[in-house]
Order: sequence, then structure tokens, then C-alpha cells
Amino acid sequence: MSQRFFSRRELLWKAGGGIGGLALANMLQGASTSPLAPKAGHFAAKAKSIISIFCYGGVSHMDTFDPKPMLAKRAGETIPGKKVVPSQGTPGGLMPSLWDFKKYGQSGLDVSDLFPHVATCADDLAVVRSMHTISNDHAPALYQMNTGSIQTGFPSMGTWVTYGLGTENQSLPAFVVFTDPRGGPIGGAPNWGNGFMPTAFQGTQFRPTGDPIVDLKPPQDMTPERQRKWLDFMGKLNAEHHQKNPQDTELAARIESYELAFRMQTAAVDAVDIDKESEATKKLYGLDQEISSYVGRQALMARRLVERGVRMVQIYSGGGNFNDSWDAHWDLKENHTQHCTETDKPIAGLLKDLKSRGMLDSTLVIWHGEFGRLPISQRMSGRDHNPYGFTVWMAGGGTKGGTIVGATDEFGLEAVDKPKKINDLHATILHLMGFDHTRLTYMHNGRFMRLTDVEGEVIKEIVA
Amino acid sequence: MFLSKVSLVIVLSGAALLAQRGDREALGQRASKILAANCVGCHGAPLINAGLDLRKRETILRGGDKGSVVEVGSAAISKLYKRVAHEEEPSMPPGRKLSDGDIATLRAWINAGVPYEDILDQKEEESRAALSKLEERPITPNERNWWAFKKPVRHDAPKIASAAWPKTTIDQFILASLDRKGLKPSPEASKNTLIRRAYLDLVGIPPTPAEVKEFLADTRSDAYDKLVDKLLDSPHYGERWARHWLDLVRYSDSGGFEYDRDRENAWRYRDYVIRSFNNDKPYDRFLKEQIAGDELYPGDKDATTALGYLRLGVENNIKTEQTRIDELDDVVVTTANGMLGVTVGCARCHNHKFDPIAQKDYYRMQAVFFPTRAEEKPLVTDAELKRIKEETARIEELQKPLRKQIREIEQPTRDKFIARRRAALPEYMRVALATPVEKRTDGQKLNAIQVERSIENIREEELLAEMPLNALTKRELIVAQIADLDKQKPKLETAMVVKENGREAPASYFLHRGSLSQKGSIMQPGVLSAAFDGEWKFPAPPENATTSFRRAGFAEWLGSAENPLTPRVMVNRMWMYHFGEGIVRTPSNFGKMGERPTHPELLDWLTTEFVQNGWSMKHIHRLIMKSAAYKQSSDDNDAGVKADSDNRLLWRMARRRVEGEIIRDSILATAGTLDRSVGGQSIFPYIDPSLFQSSSKRTWNGRANSDPATFRRSVYIFSKRTIPLPMMEVFDRPDTMSSCARRNRSTVAPQALIMMNNDFVSVQAKHFAQRLEREAGSDTDKQIRLAYDIALSREPSATEFASARQFINSYPQGLVDFAHAMFNINEFVYIP
Repeated sequence: MSQRFFSRRELLWKAGGGIGGLALANMLQGASTSPLAPKAGHFAAKAKSIISIFCYGGVSHMDTFDPKPMLAKRAGETIPGKKVVPSQGTPGGLMPSLWDFKKYGQSGLDVSDLFPHVATCADDLAVVRSMHTISNDHAPALYQMNTGSIQTGFPSMGTWVTYGLGTENQSLPAFVVFTDPRGGPIGGAPNWGNGFMPTAFQGTQFRPTGDPIVDLKPPQDMTPERQRKWLDFMGKLNAEHHQKNPQDTELAARIESYELAFRMQTAAVDAVDIDKESEATKKLYGLDQEISSYVGRQALMARRLVERGVRMVQIYSGGGNFNDSWDAHWDLKENHTQHCTETDKPIAGLLKDLKSRGMLDSTLVIWHGEFGRLPISQRMSGRDHNPYGFTVWMAGGGTKGGTIVGATDEFGLEAVDKPKKINDLHATILHLMGFDHTRLTYMHNGRFMRLTDVEGEVIKEIVA
Repeated sequence: MFLSKVSLVIVLSGAALLAQRGDREALGQRASKILAANCVGCHGAPLINAGLDLRKRETILRGGDKGSVVEVGSAAISKLYKRVAHEEEPSMPPGRKLSDGDIATLRAWINAGVPYEDILDQKEEESRAALSKLEERPITPNERNWWAFKKPVRHDAPKIASAAWPKTTIDQFILASLDRKGLKPSPEASKNTLIRRAYLDLVGIPPTPAEVKEFLADTRSDAYDKLVDKLLDSPHYGERWARHWLDLVRYSDSGGFEYDRDRENAWRYRDYVIRSFNNDKPYDRFLKEQIAGDELYPGDKDATTALGYLRLGVENNIKTEQTRIDELDDVVVTTANGMLGVTVGCARCHNHKFDPIAQKDYYRMQAVFFPTRAEEKPLVTDAELKRIKEETARIEELQKPLRKQIREIEQPTRDKFIARRRAALPEYMRVALATPVEKRTDGQKLNAIQVERSIENIREEELLAEMPLNALTKRELIVAQIADLDKQKPKLETAMVVKENGREAPASYFLHRGSLSQKGSIMQPGVLSAAFDGEWKFPAPPENATTSFRRAGFAEWLGSAENPLTPRVMVNRMWMYHFGEGIVRTPSNFGKMGERPTHPELLDWLTTEFVQNGWSMKHIHRLIMKSAAYKQSSDDNDAGVKADSDNRLLWRMARRRVEGEIIRDSILATAGTLDRSVGGQSIFPYIDPSLFQSSSKRTWNGRANSDPATFRRSVYIFSKRTIPLPMMEVFDRPDTMSSCARRNRSTVAPQALIMMNNDFVSVQAKHFAQRLEREAGSDTDKQIRLAYDIALSREPSATEFASARQFINSYPQGLVDFAHAMFNINEFVYIP
């Protein structure tokens, strides 16, 4: 896809591309369509939407999906000929995993006891065990996972995908982000920012309780009838003003944006109204248990949003600092037990629910952190950041379930077999969404920019 | 061919064989000379790009990271040959081609079996010279001839047949191009429109009803000119126009990245910009102060604060050589974009693909800023500084025993913690600790050290959670005492600036492919070669200098009349802020990928006018605002829309929505609550905590929407990189990560949501309604008239009047909702 210039007269809609009303549509004939109107990718693809579950802080691969029996055999020892440099503090010796692994499904995928429910979906998971990233530090690593660059100011993956595909529902934001109740990820809003692209493509933060969007609901004493009356009055005043320059599409778009906002007030609330779901569904997502209910609600809302045509939903598990996130510097056992239990049932529930509704094929689910964790101990019972090797998995959206690609070394320190960069991951995701990542470009500062910069190769082994 | 080769072998006698061996040797020597002179700099020494070392036969045959480069005996299929012969991309050497003779030699050499004289003793200087040759990218006369790199020529204003319309020289240029298209300018806008346009454009708030009344009553011919002069003298002019500059320099009050630390003194730079605009500081001086205020104007407080420009970028909390060159990249790119209107970012890794911007230019510009280091410079006298330091030390001395007391109170709980942790250690760690130091294995040593260092390291919240209540209470009291003492510490006022470590600049390098592992030649400072023919002379630093004076040299070039870009780029920006679009519609890209000027001669005329009038921005404002072109109505007409729908020829004035800041400021002004004080510390309006519930390190102490302390101009809102004020964000606030030349103007539903439902807007609507009642009494008709006067600077039409009257009286909250509607209608947010 070539770059899209937005002329002054072109309409930029953040949450909606559709110009409602035939009259208005006629009036706008000749004007370019909204950048968020649905459009085709470079080729037909199964995946229509993405749900990313971001284990912010860095999830340990050796304790979840990448078993390393060697760690138990060599507990407390050093890796011969290797000096492991941690991000902080003094390095310890090798630390065995605190959990047992079993093989699941027909594919015999290894999953630790931390994810008993996700394990039952083993045959749907395509696991890449050989990821590596540049930075050893949260913010740049988060930025890289989200935008491809360790710097700020670049568009996030959700931005690229909505730029490329638009969205199917003009009454909802195209790209929705749920953060953890304990806080947002380090680095903040640029993680789902539009970077150098128009704001129309940025992620919109949804709150999982109360109103999903800030300022979505009118003040308490403002009834829908009163607001309707108010909008009609404003409509009259705007119409008189518009009469002088009836061909000005910007003025027309602004009038329509109020109608769209009015509709969003109900559409967005409805999209996240999980009370409409059956008890069985709620249970499937772990809503019946306190510990998993928060992520469960988000995962269920994610399904409802995707069902309504939202292009990408990103859920941050973990927030703020230290043990509030997956950043298990101190006590791996306590930390990962907590965060895995919070997410295990919701993730498994999401995969099963999508599958039973026939939506898994068209929804790409990605599970990842910003990096992995080291095989050596930190502060006696924790693990430090590991950018050299870690695991991500994908499910649905045209991926090949039950696959394992690449490997870390026998200690889980470095990706050694088929090492994959973040650019490769992004190239793969774009491929699954129907894009040649080298052709999805946007002109900025005299350069055709890409999510994958100048690199990236599709991880073919996991594409069905 | 095959036959002739065979026959050749047959006829070779013994003597000929010897001669051939000599030929082979000679061929090898010639090949190694060619490679040494042209290739080895990057593929041998000092660089081994792509893992290819051309210094020895052995390594040539081994090839590079991506495989072999020569197929012995077959030049035609050898990568090395194909690339030097320009048969395969990327061709080599980069940017040029070897002579045909050399290419033929290399072909014969590969075909002859790659005989080679290994390059072992090539001198350092020789390989450096080969490398430096590669770094050259000469600018051709043709490239220099690009319109933006040529010095502006002051053309005479075109002669116009219809002399009635033009009021100024600008108008003659505009009318001439309209004439060519058979278009006519639009009639002059009404006086109501003109005053509103002038106010929103120059000071960013609507005129008061009294100001409108006075202007309408003034029937003198120069009434409008006087109005423009009055607004240019207003202190609010600087607030409005500084915001444009702050966009360009990606101003923010925090550092971005993981911690996004607040920059407590960044606002001094913001105030400097406001002050500079208000004082009409000559633009050349304005730039020089920001680049080299310390070197060019020592002792000038304003010029010191101006240096904050060099510190405005995002700041990585990790400090490495890489993050340092990333930060420098940000400075170079922002300076080139903002001040010179060219894109140089791509030249970090290779010569610019479209424009004559050499990679070497990039690194020569990087060398200008390379010696700078961050500094927080006290803005007090030495004596005062000494007093502050002593006082701080005295208070810290008082805090010491208190801190000791706290440790004593905590100790029993600490001990309990440590004992528990010790018991929970895994077997192998306990073994490690139990093993005598000298007998520990490497792993045991590491583990033992780790335990010793971390077992006593307990996080405060964990500790406090287990402390007995009485100990906790005691501790609290002492903590409060320490905090009290902290408050007594005198505050040191500092400015965010830069310093250097002496006259001698540290060496910086040309980085091949932008990589620190591929350092090329040492770089001397320089300017943009395409825009200056010759070597710009950088001054030698004075004997007692503490800086290299590289920035001074560069700043002198930036602000020199010799520079074709600087003044042109700025007058074009000013034109854009006034007319919605520049004469060049890509204001930060005057290169080939940018747009060509719609009125090149006018642009040049304005540029010369700017420089001849001491780089006075207010002079340009006057020229523009007093033109008939600016005073046109902004309404469409059929002929114009048909012939030039983008209004490139300016057959009408532009209509444009104001920025988020101006919407907010207009709301406050209309509600009658705006605090018009100028300058000082930033304000923190309310942000819903769920939007920034981030970390202990990133917080936002927002004040309530009812708090008048927040009723100030939006340019004073604390600009936090990761916590933007939603109302600004949704109205296209720049992301503050890179220079913003022109804001997006998007129209999206979340803007409507904020304007409909946000508490700030509701609170101000109530204030506006109260103001109407206060000033117009309870008579609805009077209220409506006053509302239109205040909010839209005009009287309501009969139909508007009727609709408003009916709406206000239709339900109890009618007046408040009417006031709220005024903030929301299109007319309120558009410059007419």
C-alpha cells in the first residue's frame, strides 16, 4: 500500500469513518473517504482482528512454555564460559524452574503448571521460543514490542493495522487498549500512540469498570432527551453557519462527529456490557473467581469488541512497578503465581469462546511480554530481565496450532535456533492480517516508514 | 571462445608460461591496488563491513556474512564483479563507479584465478584516506540550483492592470497569479469578522464586546492598522505565537521514556520564547541564542535560558554511547527541520536519497553539538549560591540524627524479615553460604554475594506493613520532622542549559551506516553543503574559552544573510500560521519530496523584506495582516471553488479550526474566568486518574476543574510527554517527540465527547451562564445578544435569535445549555 496523504479537506475520524445520512454523503461526493473506512490489505487473509495480551514487566519463559531441565541439574552453578550481565544488582547462579512441566494435546506442547487452563488449548498455540529484543530496559523494550523502535514517536502496531485496514464499526474506536487496575505500563500512552501518523489511528484506552471511555457519559443530570434537544438546537445554529459554505466538508464532518459521539455513548457502553453474557460464558472467563475476574472481564469485553468489528484490542496484564507487573526481580514464585492465576482462565476462556463461536480463525491472539527473564537468580529468589531469548505464542488468525519454532540454549539464556527479531514478529503479524510488511508504508520526514523499519522476515513455520 | 582458449594453452611454450606467471603477478598487484584505493576502507581496515575483508586472498575467497563474493575463474557470476560493474544492487563503491579500465582489470583478475598480493602493510593513513574518499559526496552545480538553495532574489512586484484591489506589495503578487487564472479576489470581510480574525490569529482569544464596539465605532481609514499594531503590542501575542515555536522545538516539561521525569525548569525556556516574541527579538538573534547563547552573548541571562533549546528532546534514562548519539540525532534533526526546513534524518545512515544532503553533512552537524553536556545552571550570584549551599548543608546535618533514629526503630522488624528470608532460601543457596569462602565454586560465590547483598534490602512498604503500631507511629513523627526540614531547604533557581568540557572538542566520527561499530573519519563541524558553497569558517575559541565555539560558528551561519534557507523557512511558516497553509505547503521540507512554492517570487520578496528589516517578525506580521489578501472574506464562491478548490492562489481567506489550546482559552475568555497573567510556573488542570494510573514515578497532581488557579492560558499547561491533557490530545496536540511543523487538523468523535461531556467544559458553561445573568440581567433577549457579542463577536440573526429564545425557555437548564452550545458550535472554534 502506498502512502496516504491527508489533504486539509479530508476527514479524519478517530472512532468512526462513516458519514451518516445520505444527504451528507451526497454532499461529500468527491471528497476522499475517511481513513478509518474499512479497506482491503495487500492480499486476502484469515485474520480480521488482533487481541494482544501483553504480560508487561516480562514473563519468564523457562517457567511457562520453554522447559529447561538443565537448570535443575545445574542449580546454583554458573554457565560455563558465559558471564551473564543482569540489568541490576549482582548475578547469581542458575535457578531451576519452580514449576513442573507436562506435555499437552496431540502436539505434546510443554506447558508448566502455571497455566493449567491455557494448557488445554495447547493444539491451538503456535509457540516461538526464540524471540530476542534489543533493550534490557522496560520502556524501550515495550516501545519496541509495540512500535518496532526502542525510541518514542513511532506508530504502534495497532495504529499500523488500523491505518492499513480501517475498522468495521464506525461507532466504536478501531483500536482499544485495556490497562491493569494497578497502573499503566511504563512508558505510558506512546505504547499505543499514533507516533507520526494522524491521531485518528491512535489507541483508545477503555476502562474495564464504569464508563469505558473518559467523558463518554454526560453529566448525571443530563438526560438523553435533554441532550438530544441540545444537539438539535446546536444543529440549527450550525446549519445556518454552514449555509454560507455548504461545500466545506470539514464543517460538515464536525457536525456529524457530534451525532457519532451521541451514538457512541450507547454503542460503547453496549459493547462492554458483559451482563448480557450467560453465566456459563462468564465462568469460562474466570469471572466467578476474584483473582481472575479483572482480566476475565477485559478478555470478555475484548471478544465483544472484536465481534463488533474493532480491529485491535490490547490487554495489559500487570501495571505500575515491581510486583504489580510481571517484573519478578524479588520473588518469582509469588509474582508469577499471582499473574498467571490472574490470566490463565481468562486467556483459555477467550480462546475457547472464540473457537466455539467460529471467531478464532478471524482473530489473531498474541501472548507476549516485552522480554523474558534470566535463568540465574536475582536477589535470591527472583529473575532479572532477559532480552536475549524469550517466548511468545500466537493462536488463531491463520496460525498453525501446536507448532514450536526455534529454541533457546539449554539454559534458556539466548535464542540459538532460528532466532527471531521483533521485526520478524511484526512482519508475521502483518502477514497474517493480509499485508506485505515491506509495502505497508507511511511517508514521514522524507522517508517511507515501515513498522518493520528495514528488516523483518515472516516466520513462515507458524503460518497455516 | 572455448576453442581459442584451448589452442592458446597448446601453443604456450615454456618461456611463455613464465611470462604468463609474471602477468598473473602483475594482475594480482593491480587488483590489490584497485581494491586498496577504493574498497578496503570499508571492507578491510579500518572497517570490515558485511564481514568482508578484502586485504587477503584467503579472506576474499572466504567471502562476507552473506556468502562468497568471488567465484574463482568466473567473474561474470561473482558478486564482487557484478557490483563494481553496476550489474547488481547495491552497486559498489557507494555513489560512484570505478573506471572502465579498473573494472576490466578486476574481471580479468577473477577470471585468472584471483592471484593476489595481500595488503598487509597498508598504512593507517592510506586506509583512512580510502575511507574518507568514500565519505565524500560532492554537491553538483545543478543540485545547488534547486530553488530553496539559491539566494532569494528581490523581484519587482508585478504590474497589475486592475490597480484598485492591491493594498500592499503582497497583494500585487497575489493578484497577478489570480489574474493568470482568471480569478478574482474575494471582497473584504466585515469589520466584525476582521476584528475576530485578528484577535484569534494574533493573541488567540476573541475580542471583548467593548473592543468590538470600539473598533466598529472607529471609522478612520487606519482603524484596522491601528488594531493590528495594538495586538502586536499585547503581551498575549507572545503567548499565542510562542506556542507555534514550541511545537517546532517539540517542547515539553518532562523527559519522556520510562520515568518521564518532570523538568522543573523547562518553563523558563517557554517564558523566554514568549518574551522573545513579545519583544520582537530579531529572528537571527533568537536562533543564535538558542544554539550558542553562552558563546555569543556571555552574561546575558536571556541567552543562557535560550540554551534550553538544546535540552528539549526526550531523555533516555539509560546512558550509553548509543543513547547519546540518539539524543544528538534528535538535536540535529530538529534543528535541520525547524530552522532550515530540510530533512536530514536519513543522512544518519546514508546520503539523502532525494536531496543533495550528504551523510557527511549530517556528521559535520552532529560534530557541532557533540561536545555539549547537560547542565543545570544556577540563576543566582555566586555569593547567593554559596549561602544556599551552606544553608542546605546545615539542614541536612539536622536531619542526620533523625534518620538514625528511624533505622533504630525499624531494626527489630528488619531482623525478623531477614531471619525469615534466610529460612526460605533454597537448598543450594544454603549450601553455598555454609561452604567456606575459599572452597566455594564460582556459582556458590555468586550466590553467596547475592544473598549477602540482598537479604537486608527490604522495600519500605513491605517493612511498614509488618511494623508494630507503636513503632510505626513513632516513625511517622520523625518522618514528618524530616519532611518539615526538607521544606526549609532554600530553593535554588536553575536553568536547563548545556556546557562543554573546554576549548578542545572531543573527537566525533562519521558513522558508516549510522553504526557506532563502523566509525569512519573524525569529523570537523560544518554546515549544509548544498546551501553554502565553500567552507564555512568556524571561529577559533578564545584563549580562556570553556567551550569549542563550534556552536557559535554554526549559529552565525544559521543567522547569516548568506543562508538561503533560514529566513525563507521562517517567513513561510509565518505565512502558514496566518493563512492556514504556507507558500510552500511542506513547511519543514523544502527539498525534492516537499511541495514547490505556490508564489515563489512573493516568498523571495518576503524573505528579503524580513532580512532587510532586521529579521523583525512583527514587520512580517504587519505586512501580511495589512494586505488585502488577508482581509478577504473566507466564504466560498463558485468560480474559486471550481478553478482552485484548494485555494492555492488565495482567492479567499482561509477558514480554519483553532488549536485545542485556543478552544480552551476561548472558553475561559468567554466564560469570563480567564486569568490573563503572563509567564511563570506551569498549571496542572484536572485529568481523570484512570488515564495516568501509571507508577509512583509518573504522576499528575491535577487541580479541580473549579480551581481558578487553572484558569490560565493553555500555553502554561504542564506538558508531560506521557500524560497529555485529554482535551489537547484529542485536538491534535503534537506528540512532543519530534518537531511538529504543522498540526494535524482532525475531526473525530472523541473531540465531540469531550466538548459535550467533559467537566471542565460544563463548569465553564455554568460560569458563562452566570456571567450572562450578571451582565444582562434576567431578560432572555438581552442574554442572547450579550452571548453572541461575547462568544462570536457579532449580533445574532433573526432566526438564531428565535431559536435561542425558544431553546432557553423550553426547560429549566436552558440558559446553561445555551451557554454550553455556544462553546460547541462550529463558528466558535473557527477563525472566520
